[in-house]
Amino acid sequence: MFGLNKIIPVEPNINFLGLRRNFLIFSILAMLISILLLSIKGLNLGIDFKGGTLIEVSTKNTSIGELREILSSSYSDVSLQEFGNENIILIRLQNKSNQESIETVNSVKNLIQDKVVEFRRSEFVGPTISSELLFRGFQAVSFALIAILIYIWLRFEWQFGFGAVVALTHDVLFTLGLLSILNVEFSLATIAAILTIAGYSINDTVVIFDRVRENLRKYKKLELVDLFNLSVNNTLSRTIMTSLTTLLALVSLFIFGGEVIRPFALTMIIGVIIGTYSSVFIAVPTLLIFKFRPQDEDD
Amino acid sequence: MKNYPIWKSFTVISLVLLGIIFAIPSIIYDENSENWFLKNKINLGLDLQGGSYLLLEVQLDVLYKEELDNFVDSARLISRDQAAKIEKIDVQENEVVVFFANKEKIKDIRDSFFQMYRGVTLQINNNKLIIKLNDEYRKIIQDSAIKQSLEIVRKRIDESGTKEPLIQRSGKKRILLQLPGVKDPERIKDLLGKTAKLTFHIVDNDNTSALQNNLAPFGKIIVPDMYDENTKYLLDKRAVVGGENLVDAKGSFDQTEGHAVSFRFDTEGAQKFGKVTTNNIGKNLAVVLDGVVITAPRISSAITGGSGIITGNFNAQEASDLAVLLRAGALPAPLEIVEERSVGAGLGADSIAAGQIAAIIGMVLVCVFMILIYGTFGALANVSLIVNLFIIISLLGTIGATLTLPGIAGIVLTIGMAVDANVLIFERIKEESLKQTKVFQIVKNGFDRAMSTILDANITTLIAAVLLFAFGSGPIRGFSITLSLGVIASMFTALMLTNFLVYMYLSFANKKELKL
Repeated sequence: MFGLNKIIPVEPNINFLGLRRNFLIFSILAMLISILLLSIKGLNLGIDFKGGTLIEVSTKNTSIGELREILSSSYSDVSLQEFGNENIILIRLQNKSNQESIETVNSVKNLIQDKVVEFRRSEFVGPTISSELLFRGFQAVSFALIAILIYIWLRFEWQFGFGAVVALTHDVLFTLGLLSILNVEFSLATIAAILTIAGYSINDTVVIFDRVRENLRKYKKLELVDLFNLSVNNTLSRTIMTSLTTLLALVSLFIFGGEVIRPFALTMIIGVIIGTYSSVFIAVPTLLIFKFRPQDEDD
Repeated sequence: MKNYPIWKSFTVISLVLLGIIFAIPSIIYDENSENWFLKNKINLGLDLQGGSYLLLEVQLDVLYKEELDNFVDSARLISRDQAAKIEKIDVQENEVVVFFANKEKIKDIRDSFFQMYRGVTLQINNNKLIIKLNDEYRKIIQDSAIKQSLEIVRKRIDESGTKEPLIQRSGKKRILLQLPGVKDPERIKDLLGKTAKLTFHIVDNDNTSALQNNLAPFGKIIVPDMYDENTKYLLDKRAVVGGENLVDAKGSFDQTEGHAVSFRFDTEGAQKFGKVTTNNIGKNLAVVLDGVVITAPRISSAITGGSGIITGNFNAQEASDLAVLLRAGALPAPLEIVEERSVGAGLGADSIAAGQIAAIIGMVLVCVFMILIYGTFGALANVSLIVNLFIIISLLGTIGATLTLPGIAGIVLTIGMAVDANVLIFERIKEESLKQTKVFQIVKNGFDRAMSTILDANITTLIAAVLLFAFGSGPIRGFSITLSLGVIASMFTALMLTNFLVYMYLSFANKKELKL
């Protein structure tokens, strides 16, 4: 048998916490930059949250330039983009009112009718709906963070809950910052991705915390830093293994899953990497703020 | 295979078999099968099978305004009956203020008004009567308008021949429509875009100055022509008879007038129509649809049969669509489309194909990785992973869940995450193997120790998925469903199936020592 897992020693002894200051500085910087990016550049909001019209067409014997020429004579705010391959084109329009949009779709269709093989999809999100969707997405993410905090609090001591939420906030901010830099479209699916990242990252964190709790009971004399280091090392191969299998699946989704799902897959890939990093380098060191001993000794 | 209870083996094997058997309908996917078993297949969401999703908002403001107008008319009528003089009437956003010349009759008027409109708030302030549209009254208007709109929308969609539409109320003032297979919703939108309020009014040809000044006297209205905005008619405000009295309407062809809509009144409508046409021979009768005059023919003789035709410059499609609208009845208020998503069958099929490829490749990659890392144990985990996939599919099929494109993404993601529970177990076994040598004890300890971690870790993922379901819409819900089912199924497969397989392997291979 192969058994390549022997590459990672059963009891690795890497001093993760020794480097905690560097990683903390790195993460704080990353979060600050993310906040700055989000407030200055913002996210590339898709029509779910910005409102507007989107039409996907497959074309024949025509170029994107030709279509752009036809449409831009009638619409000043039209943008066209190749989607996957050169025959598939996304047309986006910003509309002010609901009524206007319906007329727009019809007239766009009429203008380019003879260049188009198939109208693959058309979406229109009105201004009231887009702001509602944004609000609900925000609600979902906040409630998820609160619910997870409460669960961790119930299952562990509250200090763990604090550590987990610090790590989660870090993950969400950092991911959003990267989405802003990479100009990835932010849609309903992205919100789903971010929630899943929260679930994934907390999953990772919980596994390590679980071990911290177990070791707190087992090694009563061990220094906290050493005990945390030991716990991270105990769970290291699992952390790496699970991240890798998840990333394998996500990369497959990113490459083969089609154009529509690509931003979702990319967001997840970014999030899984950040989530794994934060479990080890943010969540666990945060616990050092609290003195677990001696009061929790006989827990 | 000592230590492994028979009942446990039996449970595991039967659950696995059930999972595989009930995945069959979704894998075969025979769309038209009537077989009770094959019908338990996954429903494809609109984004995968193609179709249109529409969210309509009932324009309640129009109704509130209409009701305020009714208040004004009623206030005038009551005051006339009571011989009270009105100085002026102010219509504001939420209320009507009637200024009387004196306050003598004001209480009586208030009481009569209250008889007609129970539930409105009435206030007297000196010589003013304030009629308020309060929240309860609005709510009554709102609820009945939504109920009525739903019914009318349903009738219109049914008439349009759409198969298996989903029509339901969404929130306070919206109606959600899912129309599978409809790739171009333009016609549906046309059908829903009209309120289709049909009324018949007598035309006033005598008062020409009113039309010139564009100022309708009390009891009259000025209505433009459907085809020519500049042509206007002065009509009696009160309708002779309306669309609610129609029992049938259909597109027809008239030798002289071309395409037309023929209609028939119910008994009440026929009586009213007969009476009015008898008394008004020589005058014109305007047919008004949604605030424009379609046609205003001269009444040449009494029409007592209760049926007639409406002519206009229709083509065949327009005539038959108008007939559909008239048969279905009028919407209480206009509907506005606030969200629309239509996917063609081509894109849907592409998405399914891409999703399948991504799932298969993801699966192969993960399986190869697991074997590379864990050897035989990895292969056992792979069996669990494959069964896991079958179970997700069979659960989706049996609970009748809808699979969407994000749902497929959820399945692919689950493939990557589902091995986590196995990894946790194997890592524990690895640690235990350093502490002792009894093979079965190692395995037992490994599973027991990993159990609470697996539960904790998966419950947090479930929390995120449940919240996503609660706040998400359509396709995103599909994602949260597959993710939740995947997480639950992975706990079962890891803790029971992998457990079973590991015991079987160790018993049959008669392993004396365990090195992972």
